[in-house]
Amino acid sequence: VVEVLYFAESAEITGIRSETISVPQEIKALQLWNEIETRHPGLADIRNQVIFAVRQEYVELGHQLLLLQSGDEIAIIPPISGG
Amino acid sequence: MSSSDISSSCFNQETKLPLSPPLVEDSAFEPPGKDINEVEEKSKDIIKFTSEQLSVDEVSQLVISPFCGAISLFVGTTRNNFEGKKVISLEYEAYLPMAENEVRKICSDIRKKWPVKHIAVFHRLGLVPVSEASIIIAVSSAHRTASLEAVSYAIDTLKAKVPIWKKEMYEESSSWKRNKECFWATND
Repeated sequence: VVEVLYFAESAEITGIRSETISVPQEIKALQLWNEIETRHPGLADIRNQVIFAVRQEYVELGHQLLLLQSGDEIAIIPPISGG
Repeated sequence: MSSSDISSSCFNQETKLPLSPPLVEDSAFEPPGKDINEVEEKSKDIIKFTSEQLSVDEVSQLVISPFCGAISLFVGTTRNNFEGKKVISLEYEAYLPMAENEVRKICSDIRKKWPVKHIAVFHRLGLVPVSEASIIIAVSSAHRTASLEAVSYAIDTLKAKVPIWKKEMYEESSSWKRNKECFWATND
């Protein structure tokens, strides 16, 4: 069970800031995205522009295998615009 | 003055040193790259996210140091137009604490590349009206090249890596911006 955080455009699309979801401990980044997109189909619109932050480190939506622990924070990071 | 005074006080940054530098004739222990008295003043990275109005005075005061001859500043302010549309205000949000950690990493990188003394990065969150500051970066160094270059690096890298977002509020609509520096997504 991990906590998914939504920011900026992704929060507007889903209508929520966070939720807990149940995923396997070992999962590829892309698979994790697909899980999330299934819950919020509107996110397909920004699929090519987002990146994950897993335990506050950036992870691309690719084939990297994630080792998740219960309570881990996953953030959906749309293109940034600080400064 | 003996060289043993130098070696014990170099590792403890809180210790007061004798006012006059000891006369050292042979190659006694020297602190790497710093004036001996400068070891007294601990270098600071000051990072703050706030919804309050930012003050250039306040931020530049924080990096003042008697060992520094230069303070360089960057101030980012809300511009009133984008592609012909009138911008009313910007609205910022951030993934704290990752944003703070990413800024800390930038400070650490800066210290590896340039001999700077203090670094301050203040970013405003929430609504920032036109002409007000959304970000202030201040860096102090003994001589100007280091702080000028460090400030430039800081803003460029912040725009590429720190999870902060701004939404431009126009008269009739709004739009989430994206920096061209964003390392994973480009405008297409």
